[in-house]
Parts: sequence; C-alpha cells; structure tokens
Amino acid sequence: MGQDSFTPQKRNTSSTLPTVATNGSMYSTGRVVPRGRKIHKTFNNIKITVLCGFVTILVLRGTIGVGNFGSSEADTVNQNIIEETNRILAEIRSDSDPTDPNEPPEPDLNPNVTYTLGPKIENWDISRKTWLESNSEFPNHVNGKPRILLLTGSPPNPCDNPIGDHYLLKAVKNKIDYCRIHGIEIVYNMAHLDKELAGYWAKLPMIRRLMLSHPEVEWIWWMDSDALFTDMVFEIPLSKYGNHNLVIHGYPDLLFDQKSWIALNTGSFLFRNCQWSLDLLDAWAPMGPKGPIRDEAGKILTANLKGRPAFEADDQSALIYLLISQKNEWMDKVFVENSYYLHGYWAGLVDRYEEMLEKYHPGLGDERWPFVTHFVGCKPCGSYGDYPVERCLRSMERAFNFADNQVLKLYGFSHRGLLSPKIRRIRNETITPLQYVDQFDVRHHHVSSKPQS
Amino acid sequence: MMERCLGAYRWRRMQRAFRQFKVTIICLLLTIVVLRGTIGAGKFGTPEQDYLEIRDHLIHTSRKRAEPHRVLEEVQPQQTMASDSSSSGGGGSATTNSYTEFDINTILKDEEPDDKPDPNKPYSLGPKISDWDEQRATWLKENPQFPNFIGPNKPRVLLVTGSSPKPCENPVGDHYLLKSIKNKIDYCRLHGVEVFYNMALLDAEMAGFWAKLPLIRKLLLSHPEIEFLWWMDSDAMFTDMAFEVPWERYRDSNFVMHGWNEMVYDEKNWIGLNTGSFLLRNCQWSLDILDSWAPMGPKGKVREEAGKILTRELKNRPVFEADDQSAMVYLLATQRDKWGDKVYLENAYYLHGYWGILVDRYEEMIENYHPGLGDHRWPLVTHFVGCKPCGKFGDYPVERCLKQMDRAFNFGDNQILQMYGFTHKSLASRRVKRVRNETSNPLEVKDELGLLHPAFKAVKVSSS
Repeated sequence: MGQDSFTPQKRNTSSTLPTVATNGSMYSTGRVVPRGRKIHKTFNNIKITVLCGFVTILVLRGTIGVGNFGSSEADTVNQNIIEETNRILAEIRSDSDPTDPNEPPEPDLNPNVTYTLGPKIENWDISRKTWLESNSEFPNHVNGKPRILLLTGSPPNPCDNPIGDHYLLKAVKNKIDYCRIHGIEIVYNMAHLDKELAGYWAKLPMIRRLMLSHPEVEWIWWMDSDALFTDMVFEIPLSKYGNHNLVIHGYPDLLFDQKSWIALNTGSFLFRNCQWSLDLLDAWAPMGPKGPIRDEAGKILTANLKGRPAFEADDQSALIYLLISQKNEWMDKVFVENSYYLHGYWAGLVDRYEEMLEKYHPGLGDERWPFVTHFVGCKPCGSYGDYPVERCLRSMERAFNFADNQVLKLYGFSHRGLLSPKIRRIRNETITPLQYVDQFDVRHHHVSSKPQS
Repeated sequence: MMERCLGAYRWRRMQRAFRQFKVTIICLLLTIVVLRGTIGAGKFGTPEQDYLEIRDHLIHTSRKRAEPHRVLEEVQPQQTMASDSSSSGGGGSATTNSYTEFDINTILKDEEPDDKPDPNKPYSLGPKISDWDEQRATWLKENPQFPNFIGPNKPRVLLVTGSSPKPCENPVGDHYLLKSIKNKIDYCRLHGVEVFYNMALLDAEMAGFWAKLPLIRKLLLSHPEIEFLWWMDSDAMFTDMAFEVPWERYRDSNFVMHGWNEMVYDEKNWIGLNTGSFLLRNCQWSLDILDSWAPMGPKGKVREEAGKILTRELKNRPVFEADDQSAMVYLLATQRDKWGDKVYLENAYYLHGYWGILVDRYEEMIENYHPGLGDHRWPLVTHFVGCKPCGKFGDYPVERCLKQMDRAFNFGDNQILQMYGFTHKSLASRRVKRVRNETSNPLEVKDELGLLHPAFKAVKVSSS
C-alpha cells in the first residue's frame, strides 16, 4: 500500500490528485518520507486548493457578483443612468421654464384698475347671427341638436405624483367616449391663457376665447378634470333651457336663503354663446386676478357666504356671491338645475353603484343613475386631497369602470368587477354582428326615441 | 486517537475512502452552486437573493437604509421632506391623504379568473364572416341617418388609439400619454374624425403590439357606419394640423400604410412599412386580411416560433418574438397576388414619420415652410418609435425622447393655439404668450392657417 501505487478511481483531472489525498500523516510510524516528495506533495495540495478556490470565486462572481471585484463598471454606469434620469424627471416635473431667465419680469397688475378679460364687446348677438347666416356650412344646429363644445383641461406640467396623470388620462377617455356617442366636440386645454387667472379661474378666459372664435357653437360646457360621466345614455335636455343662458347644478334655497358657498357647483355648467354670457363673464372675472386682489376678495367671500373657509377667492364662491348680490340682473336667465346630476358629489354615489346596477338602468341621469360623478376634494393631481387617498382612488376606479361598462356593452365586454382593469366577454362573437349594433348602440336609442326631459 | 478506536486498518481504509470522495464532494458542491446560480432552486432562491438578504439583514442591523437602485423609479425623499405634518398618519395606511408612495395595485383586483384558452384549437379572431359587404350595405341603406360618407369626398373615419389600463411604470409616462391624446383630439376635432381611446385588452392571447387586431375587428363590425378605421400608436403625434388626408387617392384601396413598395416586395425589409399609423377600410377584404395577419400573434410558443421565421425571412430583422409589423411585411411579400392590389404603400407624405430624422428640424421648418404639406417639409405625423415613454426601458436615451416629445407636442400645439391668438414661448416651453391682441370685433379676425372654420370641416348644407 505504498502511496505510489494508489491510483485514482474516479476523476482523472489531474494525475497529482491522488497524491494530495495521500498525505504523510496516514503512514504514521516507521516510514521515512523523503523530503523532496513531501514538498512535492504539499505543492500539489496547494495547487489543488488554489484551483478549487479559483473556481469557487469565479462561480460566485457569476452568480452573486461580489462587491467591487465584480461588475463594478456596470454598477457605476447604472448609477449614472439613474442619476441622469432622476434629474431629467425632476426637471420635467418642475414648474420651471427653459426660457425663464432671459425674460424680463412682467409688471404687476395695478389693483386700482378693474381687471378685464378683454375689450368690451357690445353687439355679439347680432354679429353672431350675421356670421351664421353667411356661413351656412357651419350651422349652430347639427342633426337637430344645438352644437355643444365640451371644454375641460389640466395644468401643462406633470402632476405631483404619477397616479394623478393616470386618472387624468382615464377621465379624458371617459369624456371622449361620452362625446363620441353624443356628437359633442371636445377642447382639452393645457395652456394658461392668462397669467393672472391661473388655477380654477383659468376657465374664464378660455370660455370667452372659445365663444368668440367659434360662433357656430351654441353651448359651451365646462367640465372639471375630476368629473366623470357615469350615465352614457343620458342627454342634456337642452329644449328645457330655451330661455336661459346659464345652466348650473345647485339648490335655490341654499343659494338665496342660506347663502351657502356650495349652493352651486362650477365643476360642470353650460354657457350659451351670447352677449349675456360675455357680460356675466366680465362681471365674474374681477375677483380672479392672483395676488392681493384674490386674497382680499377671498376675505369678502368668506364673510358673506355661509360655511366658507378662509382662503383666496375661488370661481365658485365668486359666482354665488355675484348672483346673490346682483340677483335681479342675472337670475332670470340662470337655470339652477337639480332634477338630474349635472354635477354629482361623489361621496353619496359611489358606494351605490351595485344597487343601481341591480335596480335601475342608464338614461335616468339623477340619483338613481347619476349623470356625472364629480370627485370634488380628491385632487389626485396634487400631493394631498381632502379625503383619504385609498377611498378617492378606489371610488374613481369604480366610477370609471361603471361608465366604461356602458361603453363596452356594445362590443360585448364588461369589466371583471368594478375595481378590475381587465375585461371579460359577455356576449359571444357571431357572424351577424349588426343585430347587436341596433340593439346596443346608444346613438340608435336616441334616434328612435326622444329622451324625456 | 481514532486509530486506536477503530483499528489501524479500518482507519486507513476510511481515510482512503475519504480522500477519494473529497474530490467528488467538492465537485458536487460546485455543481450545486452553479446550478443554483443559473437556474435557481425555487423557494430556496439563488445565491444573489441570499446575498441580498444577508446584506439587508446586516445593513438593517447596522441601521443604514439601502437605497434600491432601479432606473426610472419614483424619487420620494425630496418630496416627503417638503410636505407638512398632515401626513402623520403614516404611509401605506388606509387613512393617509397623501398621494405619494401610494400603490394603486392595492386597490385594483380582478373578481374573476383569467380564461384559459384551448391549446389545441388554432387561434382565430372570431367566427368567419363571409358576407360582410352585403350585410353592411343593407344596414347603411336602412340607416340613412348614419351615412358612411359625411361629405362629397369625405368618408367617416374613426381614429383608434390606446394604452394600458394600468398606470405606466415610468412616473411621467401617463403625462405623455395625456399630451398625446390631447394632440389627437385636437387634430380630429379640426378634421371631423371620431376618436376611440382603448384601454381594454380584448384578448389575452394577443397582448402587446398584437392587441390592436382583435380591437380593430371588433370596431369594424360594431360600427358599420365607419368607412375607414385609422389606427395610431400612442407614441405618435400629429405635427401638421392643417393637412387633410387625400381620401380620393385611396378610392380603390383598402389598406393604406406608410412604406415603400421596393422595400417590402423586393427587399423584404422589416421596416419597409410601418403599422403604427395606417388606414383600413371597413369591408370584407379587411376582415380577411386581419384573419391572415393574426396567426403569428398568439403569445407563447406560436409567437416565438413565428419570430424566428420572420428573422430568417426578413432583411435586417433582429431576433425577438413576432411583431405585427414584421408579420405584415412577410404576409404582403409572400402573398402579393392576393393582397397587393388593394394595399397602398404611401410615401408622398408622412402618414408615419420616424422621429429621429424630423425633430431636430422643427425650427428650420417653421422658418422655411408652413403647415398643410404633410411631408418632409412639415410632417403630418411624428412617430416616436422605440421611445416607449410608458415603460421603464426604451431603445433611446430618456432625455432625448422626452424632450423631443415635448417639442413635437408644442410644434403641433402651436398650430392649435394660433387659432386663438397664442403660441408657446418656445418649442421647449410649456408657457404660452399672446401673438394676436384681443379685439372688439373678433369675427373679423381670421387665423393665419384658416383652421377655425376649415373647408374639410364644413357640413353638407342640405343636412339638418
């Protein structure tokens, strides 16, 4: 059993392997091991150990990538990409403008001069009538209905957080769907036309601008970006408003008796394109210009309206105050609507969708099947809302899917639950799809039967 | 000592055996480690996971926060520092009013399981319809209030686009989707085109770029009044608001795409045409070509195998799963006799304009040309292929993509704003400035491009 005769039985990676195993310690007494052999053996030992260690490190590097010895270059490149991307995103999301430093600062508004939306126009009704007569290819009635333009919008920069932009996108899809079904044009505004009237006041200059540029439009319908259509069948009964120029959701008793600051809601309202509307806009605007004017106006509004907290003047409170204080001048042409939800406060509606699905049907527009669900106070585009985030987003998702189901019905699909982004088939494909078109296309309902007002 | 216990002979034998197996054991260990590293071992995880766990554990105990490194992940620290104390409810709790760090996936849930398709059935978009032209003609006759032509040379067109129902992975992705849809809304309002924004995946088999096929078929069959369906990708923007598509040119065609005949039929180049923006007529021929187009789409093995065929057959195509564009090139190149006569490969104007060669020239275009040309002088569509603003990784640097998308958007938006007397302060700026003063006679003012009341929007005078 000399060590030399020990032959490897398994692996023959190295002929020296077996000699590693045969260390001198096994042969305890009586054998004299030559020194050279000993060194040779130790050397082989070490060789194998080093080899194994090397292979281990290689394998570990490949799998774990240990520390700095590993993919350090890839790490630094990655780090650079991350920093660069974060910088770009921060830049995009900030409010700063690349051209800002070069521009001189604009002069402040003189608080003694009343702010105006533009030069006073006196004869708009006549001008418009003349224009319509000479431009018969742009009539103010299309398919028997007055031409409506839906105006909505959002700020030009990204929201403070990404979920806000996602819900803006869903809200605009919701509006596109309703307007496609009902033949309404949409203008999505992302520009601040007037630096002074920023924020919720930005709608005023845009409404005026659109009225004057589009005389063929009969009604301009402003809708907030956080309002969703939830009744895709209901149509506004415009014939009811033949003698009125402003249609707004609210409660007359809250308005005149209690002077409440939420008596009306300016999140969804219609303005007729006429001189009266231009005049009202001019009377409405003065509380708007930001800065000391808006702050002072805010104080007046808080003092005069019930329940209003102290903050700068907002367009809704200003309109309420205007209509209360100049009642005789304006109110005969204002229709305060509450027979259907031209604006529907979300908190009382969103939990009842299942009940509505069970008991009622689209086309009612009122508390049984709300026309519009308006998420006041949720402010998903900002950092903070007035309500818990989860409640807001959950409700918005439900409202969106509730409405989307009415659109998808024509195509034979439905969401898998009011909180699910996925859809499922509710009607099999067929080789005669047109029977369902007649049955389920909302536009055909309106042609065959006039809606009740 | 052991010797004395077991006896010298046995001890020696044991040692020998031990020696022999040492090598085996080392090799076995190495194999296991390598296999774990490459394949992973299920719930036992990979060495990398081990390492991360150990590191986190150690770091946790040493009280340092490891910052996760992910490209394009949300940056919270500076925002939460700026916030005031009203978020003391703590992140993640159900009562927080703060939108930062809120995970939407905690809300979304499916109430029904996914349908499992039958693997043995060959894929089809739907039951075969053979008489669509007749069905549709009858329907149109019975429904004169929904004509398929809204003007003498103007067919009823539906522009279809869409995006995922879930929020983008990129924090600014949804913002760019919003700007993109606003851009499309503007163009379509001017040109009397209807818009359909899709956020539903109709068929889980055809996910990704193939999702448009079931959608297009469904829309064609549900809207017989539509004469042309215009598909447009979400990353394509209109940059010429005044250009009206020359509909009479396509009187005898059913499928209009941007591309070049030589590149598709002769070269079989995979970018010989582009399916990011195309027109499809509502007719039997279109249903047939959709049926022929679909088979390479179903995800999984079918798509992978098809991808290999396409890479082999088409020029310059990289290796990846089958996409709808390559499949269309292949279909047309191999079945030219069947489809070619009704396919129009348009290149006289940019029905699809590759952004790389266009975006740097906007200033030059503004100086030398005017809207309404639609071609290389003033492109109709600037298509940001490869940018993928909604995802985490695109094929191009993030900065170039996003900044250029802003510029393209503003370039198009300027043509809309000029109707109302405004323009962006620069192509990179979100702010606008007045370029035309308000007047007390607004109806006498005409906008430069004549987009307020353009000819292509005029209704037939006889209609009521």
